[in-house]
Amino acid sequence: MPSPRLLRALPLAELGGLLLVALLCLVFQLRLPGRLPTDADERAVAEVLARDARPGDGVLLFPWWTERARLFVPPNLPVHGWLDSDKADLSEHPRLWVLGQPELPRSDVGAFDAAFLPGRKALGAEARMGTLSLRLYENGRYRPRHWVASEAASRARVYLEQPNGSRTDCPFDGRVHRCPGPPHLYVAPEWHEILYEPRHCLWMHAPGGAQRLVAEFDGVPSGMGLRMEGGIIFEFAHPKDPRLSTAYLGVDDAASGQRLLDVPIPPGREGVQKAEVVLPPGPARTVKVWVQADNAESRQVCLDVMALEPAVGVRP
Amino acid sequence: MTGRAATRDEKLVAWVLWALAFAALWSTEAAVGFTRDESVYFAAAEGYASWFRLLVRAPAQAFTDSAIVRAWDYNHEHPVLMKTLFGLSHMLFHDGLGLRDAVAFRIPAFAMAALVPALCFLFGSALYGRTAGMFAALSFLLVPRQYFNAELACFDMPVAAMWLLVVYCFWRALEDTRWGIACGVAFGLALATKHNALFLPFVLTPFALWRAWTASEGAPEARVRLGRFVALFAAVAVLYGLLLVALGGGEAFQKKFLLLSPHTLFFVGLAVGSVWLLRDLAPVSLPVTRALVPVAAMAVLGPVLFYLHWPYLWHAPVDRTAWYLAFHATHNHYAWFYLGTLMRGPPFPLTYVIVKTALTVPTSLFAPMVTGFLALAGRALLSLSARTRDWVRMPTATEALVGVNAVTSMLVISHPQVPHFGGVKHWFPSMPFLGMLAGAAVARGCFALWEVLKTRRPSLPSFAVTVPVFALLLLPALLALVHVFPYGTAAYSELAGGQAGAATLGMQRQFWSSHVTGVLPWINAHAKPGARVYLHEVNGFSFRDYQRNGMLRPDVRAVNSPFDADIVAYQYHQEFREHEFLTWQAFGTRTPVTGLYLDETPQVIVYQRPE
Repeated sequence: MPSPRLLRALPLAELGGLLLVALLCLVFQLRLPGRLPTDADERAVAEVLARDARPGDGVLLFPWWTERARLFVPPNLPVHGWLDSDKADLSEHPRLWVLGQPELPRSDVGAFDAAFLPGRKALGAEARMGTLSLRLYENGRYRPRHWVASEAASRARVYLEQPNGSRTDCPFDGRVHRCPGPPHLYVAPEWHEILYEPRHCLWMHAPGGAQRLVAEFDGVPSGMGLRMEGGIIFEFAHPKDPRLSTAYLGVDDAASGQRLLDVPIPPGREGVQKAEVVLPPGPARTVKVWVQADNAESRQVCLDVMALEPAVGVRP
Repeated sequence: MTGRAATRDEKLVAWVLWALAFAALWSTEAAVGFTRDESVYFAAAEGYASWFRLLVRAPAQAFTDSAIVRAWDYNHEHPVLMKTLFGLSHMLFHDGLGLRDAVAFRIPAFAMAALVPALCFLFGSALYGRTAGMFAALSFLLVPRQYFNAELACFDMPVAAMWLLVVYCFWRALEDTRWGIACGVAFGLALATKHNALFLPFVLTPFALWRAWTASEGAPEARVRLGRFVALFAAVAVLYGLLLVALGGGEAFQKKFLLLSPHTLFFVGLAVGSVWLLRDLAPVSLPVTRALVPVAAMAVLGPVLFYLHWPYLWHAPVDRTAWYLAFHATHNHYAWFYLGTLMRGPPFPLTYVIVKTALTVPTSLFAPMVTGFLALAGRALLSLSARTRDWVRMPTATEALVGVNAVTSMLVISHPQVPHFGGVKHWFPSMPFLGMLAGAAVARGCFALWEVLKTRRPSLPSFAVTVPVFALLLLPALLALVHVFPYGTAAYSELAGGQAGAATLGMQRQFWSSHVTGVLPWINAHAKPGARVYLHEVNGFSFRDYQRNGMLRPDVRAVNSPFDADIVAYQYHQEFREHEFLTWQAFGTRTPVTGLYLDETPQVIVYQRPE
């Protein structure tokens, strides 16, 4: 049997533990306001960015959800922050500004660095504005882009294509290429979410049946990578309902009919799906970007195709 | 296990606690936005109140099914006790006395929520002493999510209060038969409040039977009568089972459940048989009778009161009750963000309820809940073994009653197939009991410290220990409550790292849309006359309620899409990111104009269409 003294000490030890926890909680609550940035801190960051940022730069938020910065960052600078954006390549930016709040509770700088730093190199010391940190990085994962489908959308020829090759045109109305049929059947660059990530991509809802919705582009450069990135948007990717069909996304060479890229997205597959092929050197090509699903229900595809160089890597 | 009547002082303190809680809730409610459900209940309450007007004007017409359906069909997925009170309160305090719309609806909710601290004090004081009772009472409304829910004309806090009231009545019934009847009435009212109450008989009956069994030890006549009472309930259960099988399943059982049918006969038999058996038992053993009266009262008065309180059931009780039960048995699942994963359907993580509680209840209050419960469980376990039995005081049956009620609601929601939306509100009925166990933990520590200090200063009063201990334990929670109020569904504890830490952990940022109040002043100041405003997640009723309560300019118009809007207030939900990006698309900008950010966490983000 434990000694009576020990039994008497237990409630005291329990109370001591509870008071210690309470004390820590009190410290947490009292310290919290000092761990948050002020508007003046945000404005100071905005001033630096307005002064020093170059066209093509991007801003990455750490932690990813600290989006209040959008209120202050100059509107011409893209701000990135979504669940898992720490490890995103952000390959469209040669340089990245990391706007951090390392003093926020549970901010894990080590985990962020582990995801973000590979392939990146700091281009200067970290600046502190109050609780905000700002540091510029060379983005070694940058891939120079020579052609992007979503930026060339207005020049595309869009049509519905039957398996026998017959076509129904989807004329361009100045904003979108609208196809005959339901109102969602059009092609245009739009903002959409693919597994929480904002994507500016080509809206290409699968038309249903064997026919394909095709956007045909001229002047796609050869001798570099041709990359497709796309997925089912919003909540439509999640269901694994057996009634739903696999959506097929692809890129064909218009002249030869050769399949260059092919991405199947079965029901339930979430996130941005990627495929890439290196095109041999040669003259610029015409490519057909297409989407097809037997059952069009919930096959709300948004995709982009780009011709791009390999990642530049960081300079020593 | 026997109950104990409250002393005069305790009753006085309980009334004071009730009044303080009621006054605090009333005085702070104006800042609290209208949750999606609440505005629906406002609308339902007004409809139900219109029936009472008809009842006064044309009673014969009011009792027809068509008049009843016209008034009571809306929102018939919930019983109507609280909505009826909201409606009558609105009629009295708004239509009659000119109080603000929302507060007139909410007054009954304040009254119900204020019962919790009062009952916690009475129950906790009787069980563990006044220090424990007072800690349980004070700490309950310092939990930010509990305070927030206490402000709402909804059912989660009222059913927590009713659950506590039923258990308190049950416990008091063990020393006073009249409380047994009160237990049945309270159970009926609990059923009329929300369906959580359906689980109460399963929690309380084993305690009643155990008490009856121990009280009849050495009294063979009482034991025989106890056996008859149990046999009556068992026989009725078997008869219902056989009837179900004989009729060929649930659908036929439901179809043939008429006023004059075996179904009704069995129920009447149970009611009459219970009364007869208890009258027979009373002269033989009062303690055994007292233990069984609540069981009979719940079995009989529960369904009767449930039926009587809800006019919608009067003409079609079976079919409409069956629909109501089926609705909740097959409730759909809403997307819910938890530890970085968007949960859309079962199976849900078994640890969800515990983790969510730990991350939302202020840690200085959660810690004594944990030690209080573990101490009770530890004593129970050590009492099982002959070797360790002498080390501890075996938990009393009343303590077991509190312990079981502390975990029942949490265990029910922990089932991986049960819907997991709604933050912590679905297991609120557990929280007062956890509060009492926390009070016990704090009280025994205070007493032990006082004992030690008294050896040096014999004249030291006990409050010299309890006041600073209470202050240190309660102050962080009070600071957190003041800091996050009125945005209750965003509240996270110190263990989570507050709102910011929870965002990094990948927890649900908020829900129910009421945080839009944080940006309404900006919209009122900046929207052009007649502006089209898309308040994402805010339903039409809430939009109307903001306008009629003077919180949103009356000239702005509600639209349902960013593409139709001049201003969009997007509610940050992980599952709704598409709505924000559609706003970027519609407005051609990714730069918001303002927003509600709690400790940096985006809650509501406002975009304005560029001119």
